[in-house]
Amino acid sequence: MIRHDVVVVGAGCAGMRAAIEAKRRGVDVAVVSKLHPTRSHSGAAEGGINAALGNATEDSPESHTFDTVKGSDYLGDQDAIEIMCHEAPGDIYELEHMGAIFSRSDDGRLAQRPFGAAGAPRTVYSADITGNVLIHVLFEQLVKHEVKVYEEFHCTQIVVDDGRCAGVLAWDLVRGGIHAIEASQVILATGGVGRMYYGTTNAYACTGDGMSLAWRAGVPLKDMEFMQFHPTTLKSNGVLITEGCRGEGGYLRNSLGERFMAIDAPNAMELASRDVVSRAEWKEIADGRGVDGCVLLDLTHLGPKKIKTRLPGSRELALDYAGVDPIHEPIPVRPGAHYHMGGVDVDIWGETIIPGLWAAGEAACVSVHGANRLGGNSLMETITFGRRAGQAAGDRVRSNGDSGARIEASVVADERRRIAALLGAEGGERPAVLREEMAKTMYDKAGVFRTESALTEARAAVHALRDRARNLQLEDRGSLFNSDLVQALELEAMLECADCLVTGALARQESRGAHSRLDYTERDDDRWMKHTLCWHDGGEVRLDYKPVTVTKYQPLARSY
Amino acid sequence: MAIENAHLTTLQGAYDVELMEVTLRVRRYAGEGSRPETRSYTVEVATTATLLDALDVVKDKLDGTLAYRKSCRMAVCGSCGMRMDGGAVLACKTAMKPFVDAGHVVTVSPMGNLPVIKDLVVDMAPFWQKVHAVKPFLDTGGVDDPETEWRVTPRQSALIAKESLCIMCGCCVSECNSMDSDPDFLGPAALAKAYRFVGDVRDGDARERLKELSGAHGIWDCTRCYFCNQRCPKGVDPRDAIAKLGGEAFREGIARDEGAKHAKVFVQSTYKGGYLRETELVPKTIGPIAAIQQLPFAFQLARAGKVPNPLAPHKAKDNAEVKRLWKLLEAQAPKHRERATRAPEGA
Ligand SMILES: Cc1cc2nc3c(=O)[nH]c(=O)nc-3n(C[C@H](O)[C@H](O)[C@H](O)COP(=O)(O)OP(=O)(O)OC[C@H]3O[C@@H](n4cnc5c(N)ncnc54)[C@H](O)[C@@H]3O)c2cc1C
Ligand code: SF4
Ligand code: SF4
Ligand code: FES
Repeated sequence: MIRHDVVVVGAGCAGMRAAIEAKRRGVDVAVVSKLHPTRSHSGAAEGGINAALGNATEDSPESHTFDTVKGSDYLGDQDAIEIMCHEAPGDIYELEHMGAIFSRSDDGRLAQRPFGAAGAPRTVYSADITGNVLIHVLFEQLVKHEVKVYEEFHCTQIVVDDGRCAGVLAWDLVRGGIHAIEASQVILATGGVGRMYYGTTNAYACTGDGMSLAWRAGVPLKDMEFMQFHPTTLKSNGVLITEGCRGEGGYLRNSLGERFMAIDAPNAMELASRDVVSRAEWKEIADGRGVDGCVLLDLTHLGPKKIKTRLPGSRELALDYAGVDPIHEPIPVRPGAHYHMGGVDVDIWGETIIPGLWAAGEAACVSVHGANRLGGNSLMETITFGRRAGQAAGDRVRSNGDSGARIEASVVADERRRIAALLGAEGGERPAVLREEMAKTMYDKAGVFRTESALTEARAAVHALRDRARNLQLEDRGSLFNSDLVQALELEAMLECADCLVTGALARQESRGAHSRLDYTERDDDRWMKHTLCWHDGGEVRLDYKPVTVTKYQPLARSY
Repeated sequence: MAIENAHLTTLQGAYDVELMEVTLRVRRYAGEGSRPETRSYTVEVATTATLLDALDVVKDKLDGTLAYRKSCRMAVCGSCGMRMDGGAVLACKTAMKPFVDAGHVVTVSPMGNLPVIKDLVVDMAPFWQKVHAVKPFLDTGGVDDPETEWRVTPRQSALIAKESLCIMCGCCVSECNSMDSDPDFLGPAALAKAYRFVGDVRDGDARERLKELSGAHGIWDCTRCYFCNQRCPKGVDPRDAIAKLGGEAFREGIARDEGAKHAKVFVQSTYKGGYLRETELVPKTIGPIAAIQQLPFAFQLARAGKVPNPLAPHKAKDNAEVKRLWKLLEAQAPKHRERATRAPEGA
């Protein structure tokens, strides 16, 4: 049996940052990841990462805190938000010292750009490849600190022994086989679950595995109904076209050529917040003024020079994936699932209710984003709360040593039987068929707008799919690089997350942040300023609630 | 508002796509002990489909056993490197429409210079070993307290802008000429990574790095075939990074390797007369005694007409023009990197 003090599941920004910090505490750390670390979806982030350095104009952690609380539509926990905003500058300097190649201002300091709903230019960035720079610098540090990586190991179970976390089971994708990896401390950093939606900016690997693993192990998932939609994603494959296009003066038009943002946001127009723009687009398309399920992002009036110099990345994406040159034609875009605010319920150090089980990054819900995340805050969350989880888990090992929790041989044998049964099953359905039905159901009925009737239908459909998913048919039955098997496991995880999402959304009779109900259009602080908790109850979702932590900021209307 | 009912159904046109038929020939390999074979698949895909989208349809609809790597599908994660018609590409950055329009059936096979695990999946371990071998992390020489940032001007930062674009996909390594004959050659990706540190004004270890990189299987073993530049999907231009490493090594006076000497003779010889004197090249690179041992080979080459007449004068007609060109080159050469400064206290 393999054993480490700390095992981190996931090697995106959150997982690697956690592993590095735990390792710095002199304990034995390993990372288990279904992808090579640098393939993680954190690498796709373009825009930047928020910290109140005050390099561009005056700024303060307090101001960052207020913007984040307000942005969260008052569902964020204010103690957690204060922690992130105050620790962010130190974390950024540390990333810079690790070697992050950030963009600079002329005086050599870190440059900061303005981002939506922020009181000051606060976003540290690296041209349009911020995520790439971060993922590589963290991987460099992983190498430097000689952290062991189980690469292309797909975690299939979190093992709990007598109420304590005992480690994980993982399938070796390359060679096949279930391995038991024991650890006194396990940190989940498995990222988001955008793939449950048909239109999404997320990578294929963003399938909510960690959330489903924690849920099955008995940890509640928090605020799962909150999925942020990005208003400008490509129809063909969901790839995100940056807000920068609208920042540079791009227009959104309907099929009649009208700039429809004039109706909902006559002042901000195309630069209104993401949820406002997404909803306006959805209405245009639903009311029959769309173009093949999209609206048009028009840059043609900006001219070839501006497009080529200021927006070369977006032009390339439009050419590659939509077959459209934005110099001559508008880009068809639509809202796509982008960032999941919900996740594994953890405290301000990242610990769950199971001692020794932690979570960080998009997989977790601390919660700093509440009902709506601000651009640039999620990368910061992965770093600050990834570091904190690594620090706390490492310290726990130093003070308490081996927790004594063990993985029983019978648990491993049961998992081997489960996988063997899945590999050998006959007569079921192909995972791809169910995946597509799930993704369309979620996009149509639990997306930008929601109603009781639509969510009820969605819930029934998800339940039916979960039933059908008990009977899957794989074509690849081998042990060598069996991605057919992995996709089946991912489908199960997504369906469980989808169930939590629709169940929580159906119950929440209000509109708050990204959760927009046509039948309950107002925010209702008296009844709903509280976190949703989804518990695992014999395979079903059981709802429960807990209060939001308020320190200084009483709820105000969220208008910009 | 119409939306109230309309949203309950699928948005009009949301899932409609224009389709085209595409045929792929895919190299299949079921692992050790099995024989590779090429199979043909014909599928309907969207007209906007990439090679990766087409493979996905094959896997979902025709053959679930097909193995390939993918994640981001937007050319940033570096998972999906593979060969199309014999040259490495990112599957997710390669549109199929032009091939369909031209009536060309593409052949897809795994990347080169790396062992194949299954179908289009290669073992990346040798790739990463080389990256790890170049000490791939910043060495600030002990300055690590993060009170504030290092001061690095945009110009200093621009020195490594291209290298920072690398996504470690391996497309360059797949086509590297030198690796083909010397599997131990560090190769374009690891060397581009190495320059990312040598060129980083915050790094305090450039000289040591350059010494290491100038040894066997290092920068001087590159054959300058430029295949890496041609194949890199991100514009990193690894060959240029290798050239920059060579330049830095010279400036540091690290030129003992044969490759370095070879490059030096090129420079001196062309500086003197505007032409390369091949007869000087070998003795000055490997030394007079070793050069004499190479004489039989030289005569063989001469008989085959591969050696220019050693006695003919090797001088350009307008030598002054040559000197002027040299001055221009020197003026354009990047200035030696200066270490970044730490911010003054309280700044
Ligand atoms: C296109 C795009 C642009 C974005 N731009 C920005 C931005 O500009 N600023 C910002 O702040 N945020 C941005 N975001 C959001 C931000 O990038 C993500 O929220 C964040 O990177 C998530 O990081 P993570 O470490 O939690 O997860 P990820 O980076 O997704 O990593 C997840 C890791 O978990 C592993 N894993 C998953 N399941 C398993 C399993 N079963 N077993 C083993 N390993 C597993 C994966 O291999 C991977 O290593 C963007 C998101 C997208 C999609
Ligand atoms: S130029 Fe050098 S590094 Fe690049 S492919 Fe050719 S031999 Fe390899
Ligand atoms: S240099 Fe280019 S081709 Fe080579 S690994 Fe980096 S991105 Fe890929
Ligand atoms: S899938 Fe990420 S680079 Fe192609």
